[in-house]
Order: sequence, then structure tokens, then C-alpha cells
Amino acid sequence: MSVFSVENKTILITGASSGIGAETARLLAENGATLVLSGRNKEKLNEVLQQLPTQEHQVISADLTHEEELEALVAQCPNLDGIVHSAGIVRPFPVKFIGHKQINQLFSINYSGPTVLTGRLFRTKKINAGASIVFMSSISSKFPHKGGALYSGTKAALNSFSKTIALEYASQRIRSNVISAAMVKTPLFDEAQKAISKEMMDKHGEQYPLGFGTPEDISNTMLFLLSDASRWITGTEIVMDGGLTAGQ
Amino acid sequence: MDINTFIEKLEVEFEELEQGTLKPDTNFRNIDEWSSMYALIIIALIDTEYEVVVTGEDLSKIETVQELYDLVKLRLN
Repeated sequence: MSVFSVENKTILITGASSGIGAETARLLAENGATLVLSGRNKEKLNEVLQQLPTQEHQVISADLTHEEELEALVAQCPNLDGIVHSAGIVRPFPVKFIGHKQINQLFSINYSGPTVLTGRLFRTKKINAGASIVFMSSISSKFPHKGGALYSGTKAALNSFSKTIALEYASQRIRSNVISAAMVKTPLFDEAQKAISKEMMDKHGEQYPLGFGTPEDISNTMLFLLSDASRWITGTEIVMDGGLTAGQ
Repeated sequence: MDINTFIEKLEVEFEELEQGTLKPDTNFRNIDEWSSMYALIIIALIDTEYEVVVTGEDLSKIETVQELYDLVKLRLN
């Protein structure tokens, strides 16, 4: 078995119903992993499930901002060798419009959901020794943009959370890393494009030496991080931005 | 909500705009200090004041203050 394989690994994917989560599900299943697909929309999760090569996976729908649904997911979850945290939203708010409501909205989905879920899975001993955890982060955590104070804040907070897991669980060889991506063509991309207009997005795209990313670009790195090939990588960040920040 | 209070709220958000300059038929892109940042500000203003979601795409399709007001009013109902 190749060291790049995820065969016999059980992996939970949040945000699995679309975009990077769905594409990661496809690639991991193709490479032999058994998956737990989670997200808010059960119908869309089942559609993703049906497209997988075998059906020995399970769907557990949950809105991670609801305590009971999160607890139900933890209770139903088998023991895990990997977690992919790809649930998240983008919503621009200029500084002067930031209030508690906006902070709660973004932080509950992008930060509290993944962190509380991970904490509960540790507490209930559902994360096996040698497991790998990956959080979807963003280059905006280091290079913020206008209107992005909250979004980039949630991602910067996730980066710190991931590093802390790396420190606390190294004795069990459990690893935690983030992928800091620039713009990837997902449903969130379409949403962001709607928010700022196609014109601005095209202009932004001109700054990428390799153009915008695709979900496949990200899932390839997910596979690597979840496999034992990356066993000496923990507490770090893999920047995937098509060269956007190379000259900065 | 009426167009006058709507205009007042909008006017306050433009730092350099003198009160009373904004009219229903003003094309907001022609305001001197207009930039992409103001698109974000208008979207956030409408969201916080009226709990109505307007996207950048919506904005790109309209030009005047009146059209913006009409759009918000339509989505309020």
C-alpha cells in the first residue's frame, strides 16, 4: 500500500455537500477511505454520497451552530483517522458596520462550529492515535481585504486553534494543519462574485500567476495531508494561492 | 421607509458628500469619491438598516438612488 493512500482510514468531512468538501469526498473515497459526510443539507449530502464509487459511507447531517445537532453528530460518529473541516461562509462587512450580530454570525459558523466539534470529538475519544486534522483556512488571515475583517479573523483564529491541537496531541501522533487558500472556484466563489461584482473578481484574478484555483487543486493537498506521507507535517499552514502572494 | 430618509442614511455614509447633494436621480457611480469600497458599504448599510440582502451583482445592474430605493422597497415586502 502506498504511503500516499488513505485506505482503511475513516474520515469525517464537514461542509461535504458542495465545493471543496464534496470534491475532497470524491477523491478520498476513490483512494479507499471510508467517509462520514456532514453538512446542513441532507439531500445534497446524499447526492454527493451517490456519486462515490462505493456506498460504504455514511451521511450525518448537522448544523454545527446548534448544540444538539453537533452533539448528535459526535454521538453517531465512528472513531476517526482524519477530519476535514471545510464548512464555512464568506460575508463582507466594512469595519463601521461590524456589530455583535455580524461577529456572531461569522464566528459561529466559521470558528465555533469546527472548534467545538473537534473538542467534543477529542473528549469522547473518537479521534484515533495518528489521525490527521485539516482546516480550510484562507490567505486572507495574513493578507486581509476591504470588508474582510470578520472573515479573515475567523480564519486567523482557526490557524491558532490548529497549531494548539498540534502541540496538545503530538504525543498521540495526531497532526493538525490548515490549508490557506486564495480564491477557489466553488459555490462560495460565485457568492463572493455576486457580492463584489464579476468585474472586480476578474480584476482580482489577473493578479494570480496560475489563475484561480479549483476544488481539485485543494483536494489533492487534502489527500496528501490525510495520508501518512505527511506524517512529519503538523501545526503548519500550506499556502495554495496560485502564486498570488509570491511577490509580497 | 420613504425615499427622503433613505437618501439621508445613504448620504451620511459618503464622507465627503455635502448634505442635500444626493437626489433620487443621482447616479451613485458618478459621486466623486465612489469606489468599490462604497459598494460594500451600501450592501452592509442596507443589510443592517433594513435587513435586506442586496448583492454586488444587483448594484451593477442599477444606476440611480431611486432604483436602489425601489429595489430595497421591493425586497422589504
